[in-house]
Amino acid sequence: MASVTISSVRKTYGAVSVIHGVDIDIRHGEFVVLVGPSGCGKSTLLRMIAGLENISAGTIAIDDKVVNHLEPKDRDIAMVFQNYALYPQMTVAQNMSFALELAKVDKATIRQKVDAAAAILGLEPLLDRKPAQLSGGQRQRVAMGRAIVRNPKVFLFDEPLSNLDAKLRVAMRAEIKSLHQRLGTTVVYVTHDQIEAMTMADKIVVLNAGRVEQIGTPLELYDRPVNRFVAGFIGSPAMNFLRGTLQVDQAGLKVASGSVIAIGAYPVELTGRTVEFGIRPEHIQVTETGGLDTLVDVVEPTGSETHVVADVAGEKLVALIRRRMPISVGDRLPIVFEEGQGHLFDAESGQRLILSSGQA
Amino acid sequence: MAKRAILSDIRIQTWLLLGPALVIYVVFAVFPMLDVIWLSAFKWNGLDPVKEYVGATNYVDIFTKDPVFWVAFKNTVIWTILSVSIPPMVGLALALGLNQPIFGRNSLRAVYYLPVIIAPIAVATMWRWMYNPFFGLFGQIMTLLGLGAYVPDWLGSRDAALYSAFAAHVWQSVGFSMVLFLAGVQEVNKSLVEAARIDGAGRWGVFRYVTLPALRTTLTIVLVLAIISSLKAFDIVYGLTGGGPAQSTQMLALWAFTQSMQIFDFGRGSAISVVLLAVTLAVVIPYMRWNQKREEAAQ
Repeated sequence: MASVTISSVRKTYGAVSVIHGVDIDIRHGEFVVLVGPSGCGKSTLLRMIAGLENISAGTIAIDDKVVNHLEPKDRDIAMVFQNYALYPQMTVAQNMSFALELAKVDKATIRQKVDAAAAILGLEPLLDRKPAQLSGGQRQRVAMGRAIVRNPKVFLFDEPLSNLDAKLRVAMRAEIKSLHQRLGTTVVYVTHDQIEAMTMADKIVVLNAGRVEQIGTPLELYDRPVNRFVAGFIGSPAMNFLRGTLQVDQAGLKVASGSVIAIGAYPVELTGRTVEFGIRPEHIQVTETGGLDTLVDVVEPTGSETHVVADVAGEKLVALIRRRMPISVGDRLPIVFEEGQGHLFDAESGQRLILSSGQA
Repeated sequence: MAKRAILSDIRIQTWLLLGPALVIYVVFAVFPMLDVIWLSAFKWNGLDPVKEYVGATNYVDIFTKDPVFWVAFKNTVIWTILSVSIPPMVGLALALGLNQPIFGRNSLRAVYYLPVIIAPIAVATMWRWMYNPFFGLFGQIMTLLGLGAYVPDWLGSRDAALYSAFAAHVWQSVGFSMVLFLAGVQEVNKSLVEAARIDGAGRWGVFRYVTLPALRTTLTIVLVLAIISSLKAFDIVYGLTGGGPAQSTQMLALWAFTQSMQIFDFGRGSAISVVLLAVTLAVVIPYMRWNQKREEAAQ
């Protein structure tokens, strides 16, 4: 276990800057997920922690020791790659023992560590096979086994589940999480999949265009996103946004079509301000009487819930309905926004104005 | 319509594509190969209308009564051993160097490959000039370095001539293996290199455990091609020394040519060619089978 401290880290390639001064504190034993869209710099940051990329400015410290100029092998880290990166000519056992053999660990200890890791990951029957003879999930487990046997200070995962099918991904997600709970080693995990981030992380770092947008627990990010980017990125289906001018006296938002949509009460000083109002799909309720009149555009039943795309005053909204209802395209569906669940963001800066309706 | 239906038959299309080449191969490769085996059982000067059947006499003669055959055999073996070790090693070193992000990399790759596209006989002429003990490049350089008294007779000495000819061959052929290795090196999985670095491998470790295993197929191809081209080594030696001095650079292919075309003993020349063919097939057939297995495995 170890802490990882990233201070004012920058990365430039010639004149192009890809990481613009990032600060992240990762505590002992924490499972931290770096999440963001493609090109946000999350993998670059992970590779800088690993020592595979130079750090243009700032420092990275593992257990308070600055590692900027240390070789990857001297950082006491282990990394699991997206494409597994298993040595094709070696068996599973040889892949797992490779690092220990290079470190001249005695054979008995190597055997013991490989056996222990294989037992944890259910790899015992596969130890004599070559990577080409394994399925994607098995390869992924071998890659993790290779990391485990080294007993490193920090595990680094670079989108390790991206090459697996949906079902296996869910299974491996649970496996990695239970592994972390069992070993307690600090984990830095990169993914572009916010569901992975939400389900696995103790702490999520949302990155966008080389900057940290927000750091927090999954539910902090979900419930109190600091800006429109985080609000839109975290959550599936994504948060709905309505852009318009606040009409506090009418408890509504005047949208582009000129209609006023009821969004609940807000402080009077915000009247006339151009904002983006955010509401999560599960906070939209179908009502029997009154409410906003919407026209159903698309109905997507998933079994456990139904996603309904509806048109309200020329704006599209997605509602997530958990009870079974006979809804068809073209229906008129009256809805209300749950009280206190709305988010307001400044239309210009995208920054959060109010944490939830009525709260300053 | 019927004509169109016949032409759209995939088997007909295949034969239409393969047919012309097959005819050429049969006429210019398969027939001469069989003919040379046939000829090796006769005594014939290439002109007489009658060939005298001598059975295995030509083979017995070359093995027992022809000291030059054994010199040529030994030289061909030396040439082959050198060819599978030096040019591939230099080619691999060049490929590793030229895979680094250095200035002018593409131009350098072209420069190193350039000798491959020159005709061997032109290379031989060029190197013969450079090897000239009086005004050749190498002699001049040694003279400039104050070693004028030690300039050897590169192509005139029985001890040095074979190796001098081989140096010219290395210069010409190294670019070929370099290109094959370069293609192989570029295919090496970068994640594997990074994984090895994290696992604690240094430069040598990465080469030993990642690069070299990834180059196994390329290495086999380079070595087999080197063996095949060594066994038929002819033009560069012919152009540089013609087999001399005193047969010291004689090669099997060259000796077969000399026996047939200069001594006019087609039977003996053919027998030497058949020996060469047998040795070549002993290398090529396992290679073809290995290649076929690899392709089947890939599918």
